[in-house]
Amino acid sequence: MMDRVDKELLILTQDGIGFEERPFLRAARRLRISEEEVVARLQRLRQIGVVRRFGMRINPRKAELMANAMVVWSVPENCVAEVGAAMAESPDVTHCYERRTIPGRWEYNLYTVLHCRDREDALRRVAALSRATGAADYRVLFSTEEFKREPSGRIEPAAGPGRGR
Amino acid sequence: MRLDPLDRVLLQRVQDDFPLDPRPYRVIGEALGMPELEVMARLAGLSRRGVIRHIAPILEPGSLGIRSSTLVAMRVPEKQMHEVAAIVNGYDGVSHNYRRDGDYNLWFTVAAAGEEELHGILEEIVRRSTIPPGDVLNLPMVRRFKLDVRFRFLAEEDDDGQGR
Repeated sequence: MMDRVDKELLILTQDGIGFEERPFLRAARRLRISEEEVVARLQRLRQIGVVRRFGMRINPRKAELMANAMVVWSVPENCVAEVGAAMAESPDVTHCYERRTIPGRWEYNLYTVLHCRDREDALRRVAALSRATGAADYRVLFSTEEFKREPSGRIEPAAGPGRGR
Repeated sequence: MRLDPLDRVLLQRVQDDFPLDPRPYRVIGEALGMPELEVMARLAGLSRRGVIRHIAPILEPGSLGIRSSTLVAMRVPEKQMHEVAAIVNGYDGVSHNYRRDGDYNLWFTVAAAGEEELHGILEEIVRRSTIPPGDVLNLPMVRRFKLDVRFRFLAEEDDDGQGR
């Protein structure tokens, strides 16, 4: 799994590397290892799945993607696997989860998120997903205000119980 | 915010395949026929404008000891919205918190090391927010089909969104 150096490396890089010729140099110096080793360790962490990917986090709104649509679908139990897999295939979909229902109160069991140029674009893409999968019972819940959005996986330097912030 | 065509090409490339190399911007530049300096300058510009939040390892929560997570929806009266949103935001385990259309108008995700801790956090949020439990939906994940927050920066204009 991860040794102490791996962990330190993730802490040093998780908030972003610089836009400089040698963006791993600072972490390498702090850890007293070479940049080649930094890169090799990050590659290994990606291989073993600690790091899902190495890359950019984008602010969709600043990238002209103004509509964040969470679509909740009610799909018959025996079709969820097939429909979920089909929706996951779509490049429009960033998240696709099956979730527990609350019988009598909330019957939606499949959740997808799409980031689109505007609401009209989103609705068009959702309708296409519906046609392609046969899932017809759904609601599109657009976000209207973002209160919090941050990476769901972070390493805290002193891994203790959750601080209230 | 207008992205010029070269920004788009660059964003697509960096997003799809960031080279783990001591000189990553040179590698990207070589692939795109763009000087290393321009790659860095454009990315720095996109970062200043807020398009790029950062370039970093994106960690898998499960590998960090986060074993339980859920999506919660609440029906929050308008006059309480900002107060309740602030209470929810105060928890480290909450990574996303949005106001959304519909009668359930506040949606957030909570993660914790285990079920017990997760339930503890949820109970506390509901109690402190004074939202009746009947106006709260706790929707734990059963199965993940996809989690891949990447976007298309190219060919947006040609694509008709039909069944892809």
